[in-house]
Amino acid sequence: MRLRPAALLATVTLLATALATPPVAAAELTIPPIPYHQRTLPNGLQVLSVEDHASPNVAVQMWYHVGSKDDPQGRSGFAHLFEHLMFKSTKHMHAEQFDRLTEDVGGANNASTGDDVTNYFEVVPSNHLQTLLWAEAERLSNLNVDEANFKSERAVVQEEYRQSVLANPYGKLFNAIDPHSYTVHPYKRPTIGSIEDLDAATLPDVIAFHKTFYRPDNATLIVAGDFDPKQLDAWVDQYFGWIPKPAAPIPQVTAKEPQRRKNLRYTVTSETAPLPAVAVTWLLPSASDTADSIPLQVAAALLSQGDSSRLYQSLVYRHQVAQRVGADADGRVGPGLFTAYAILASGHQPAEAEKLLHEEIIWLATQPIPAAELDKVKTQLLTGELKQRQTAQGLAFALGQAALIDGGPEHVNTDLTALQKVTEKDVHRVLQKYVTGAHSVTIDYLPQAAKGTTTSGVAK
Amino acid sequence: MSRRIHACRLAVFTAAMIAAGNVPAADFPATPPVPGPALHLSVPTPSTQTLANGLQVVSVRRAGLPLVTAQLIVRSGGEMDPPLLAGLADLTANLLSKGAAGKGAPQIAAAAEALGGSLDAAAGWDESAIGITVTTPKLPQALGLLAEVVRRPDFAPAELERARTQALDDLRLSLSRPAALASLAAARGVFGEGAYGHSRGGTPASLARIGRADVLRLHAALYRPDNAILILAGDITPAQAQQLAQASFGDWPKPATPLPVRTAGKAASRVPAVLLIDQRGAGQAGVVAAHAAPPRGDGDYYVGTVANAVLGGSYSARLNEEIRIKRGLSYGAGSSLMPRRDTGLWLATAQTKNPSAAQVVELMLGEFRRLGDSRVGADELAARKATLIGGYGRSLETTAGLAEQVGELAVYGVPLDEVGKYIARVQAVTPKQIEKYAGRHLDAGAGTVVVVGDAAQFAPAIRQAHPQATLLESTALDLDSQTLQPAAGK
Repeated sequence: MRLRPAALLATVTLLATALATPPVAAAELTIPPIPYHQRTLPNGLQVLSVEDHASPNVAVQMWYHVGSKDDPQGRSGFAHLFEHLMFKSTKHMHAEQFDRLTEDVGGANNASTGDDVTNYFEVVPSNHLQTLLWAEAERLSNLNVDEANFKSERAVVQEEYRQSVLANPYGKLFNAIDPHSYTVHPYKRPTIGSIEDLDAATLPDVIAFHKTFYRPDNATLIVAGDFDPKQLDAWVDQYFGWIPKPAAPIPQVTAKEPQRRKNLRYTVTSETAPLPAVAVTWLLPSASDTADSIPLQVAAALLSQGDSSRLYQSLVYRHQVAQRVGADADGRVGPGLFTAYAILASGHQPAEAEKLLHEEIIWLATQPIPAAELDKVKTQLLTGELKQRQTAQGLAFALGQAALIDGGPEHVNTDLTALQKVTEKDVHRVLQKYVTGAHSVTIDYLPQAAKGTTTSGVAK
Repeated sequence: MSRRIHACRLAVFTAAMIAAGNVPAADFPATPPVPGPALHLSVPTPSTQTLANGLQVVSVRRAGLPLVTAQLIVRSGGEMDPPLLAGLADLTANLLSKGAAGKGAPQIAAAAEALGGSLDAAAGWDESAIGITVTTPKLPQALGLLAEVVRRPDFAPAELERARTQALDDLRLSLSRPAALASLAAARGVFGEGAYGHSRGGTPASLARIGRADVLRLHAALYRPDNAILILAGDITPAQAQQLAQASFGDWPKPATPLPVRTAGKAASRVPAVLLIDQRGAGQAGVVAAHAAPPRGDGDYYVGTVANAVLGGSYSARLNEEIRIKRGLSYGAGSSLMPRRDTGLWLATAQTKNPSAAQVVELMLGEFRRLGDSRVGADELAARKATLIGGYGRSLETTAGLAEQVGELAVYGVPLDEVGKYIARVQAVTPKQIEKYAGRHLDAGAGTVVVVGDAAQFAPAIRQAHPQATLLESTALDLDSQTLQPAAGK
């Protein structure tokens, strides 16, 4: 039996009832579970699918279990550069043909690279599902990039670096977080890499990387939206089933990030940032350690989700030392990071914000948390989940995140149950264990006037 | 207050691990399978009704998940900023939720967030909007809160100071981004002294000038039921929408005074046609080319929409094809068409490394020209129409997207059933119409080009092609000035 979302909403208090009762009446908010289907082909390809006929579209996503943590030595940014090259030629497709098969028929495509995963995602009118499955199988098995395409796409990635790191006033700060937060683990390499390492990359590197990591037993295919399950299974078997599983093992990152032994501090300067900033990080357990990672997400939301959050109220609203604040529990397959940051308001210095960040975190880690506040962040997080699930693409992303980062596809549903059960004690426990009871890395980000370049013939 | 939250039982269907009928590699097709028959997109039809006080209530149903987006839109935005008070409409919108009906800013934020949403307010051009997306059971409370902040804001002096300081810092941040600064300068070039020519987020000088009396005056003049629209999109029926709107906004009184008169959006410009702004140390150059465009009510609206789709509306459109895909000069180049009440704006933008800015300028101008010089081919046109239509359909999949599309029609007084006619209107556009349209509206001589970046690396090359190009220092830029240059003799 396959349930559609509409059939699962019986437990939601509907509007009509809400209107008849006073607005303060407790309304039960239930998130329908995602009724996904899972199977694995003999060659190791994991296939997840969820039927949803809300729109005549279907999302097709390929998630490869490879990310910037797997960049070859001296080639930081390579996994991401490679992601761009997957849109170039294959044995049976010319460069950019993926755009012809998606955009040109009313669909869309994109891809992203993270520390742990690289995902390729498309959404198309569902009569194009078969075509897209063929095309994904084709670039998994038959990639064939030439030198000219390689060079022009590398230039594009270098512009991406300039745009996100150099021309973005706080890009250099966020790009410096990983390099300063890890000592041993390859997470210390920024995903975007560096201009020099990108320049060093060669076409043979591309071929070797594809051979090593782009294989059916290192991939998860996710299909969500308007499709017929029997037909999907048949097409998946036809296009992906023949792809051989290589005999060589998939290289795994084995580096263990040691516990921090002391607090560390770094300074990064920027020629374009108008205001200083400060960021503080702590090491976290793997995202799949859900007993801890879910309360950590609740802690981050208590600190920074919305204008009523603790950091906003303290740093931005009451003390007015910061223009923007954030806290994030960035869970990864390996050790993650808990990050708190502030972009200063005019006339204020990083030390003022840093002191308040620590005060709020210590307060949250040790003092009672009002039930209403805990309830508020759970409602925020659950509503956010519901919003994501409105589209086929959103459903597929939720499944991919669960399957590849959070410990398995079942987490797409069980983590919400766990979220609803998080208590004050849980929040205290995880913050004391990983944050207030551990060592921090602090990065001061300071504007520094541009020097050097002089302009000829200045203003008339 | 506490709610018990139940999770449904997990439903997972795990099939046996059988993959039948593997084909050998040799049988893998060398060409993509042909797509199945085309599908029909069903677009929900909005319902509209007007309350006795003049408030237009629009509801549009999408019932898949228990979510509703509520948007209160005022049909006036930054174009109503008085001279010297750039940023007033935006600051006013921003202050709505910072204290109202006896609640302080922290209490309002906490109330909205306890409902699972957040109250987001901003002034655009021709509209100011404040909205929230919540689960259906929370909608009555959310609307109550929305009504309080729209109808009874405090505009407390302390909150005005906070908002002013934040707006100034936001502005500094925005001006440090090359493409953002270039877009701002280009709008002044296109609209000159007209109502759309200034910085909607204010300028350092105008933000310093705004007083509480100005905010109160703008709110009293524009935030009134006969100048407002309430959009409810999602899991809601027209009858429920009517009932909820009446309960929250039915007793909002309509003033006897007439609505303020609008001034023309576009007027004479005194900005040079090619403007270079030196931002030393900039990691990239922001390149912008802009033209005036016809208003939203223009009969050729869909021709313009398709023309923009060909020029720069998507990844595969001409600007990105020439600048990124073929030459690797940018991470992304594109254009947008923003029609407004009595005029509009075409804006093409790209960021590139400083030394390639001159090349990007020429590629951009060349693509604007090509649109009027030669007819778009049938395949290209079909592809770009499909991209437009697909994107439109997807924009209607979320309650927030649906509210935005319907809201835009309502703001410009376009009949709301147009939401269902988009596809046919786009399909009807011909290559000849696009050529004619481009010839009429994209005359290469009439545009404005702005490049912001480390000018030493691009100014000489740009001046070779455009000897009349004017160079300004970003530090000396005066956003309040019609010429963007400091007043003479100062």
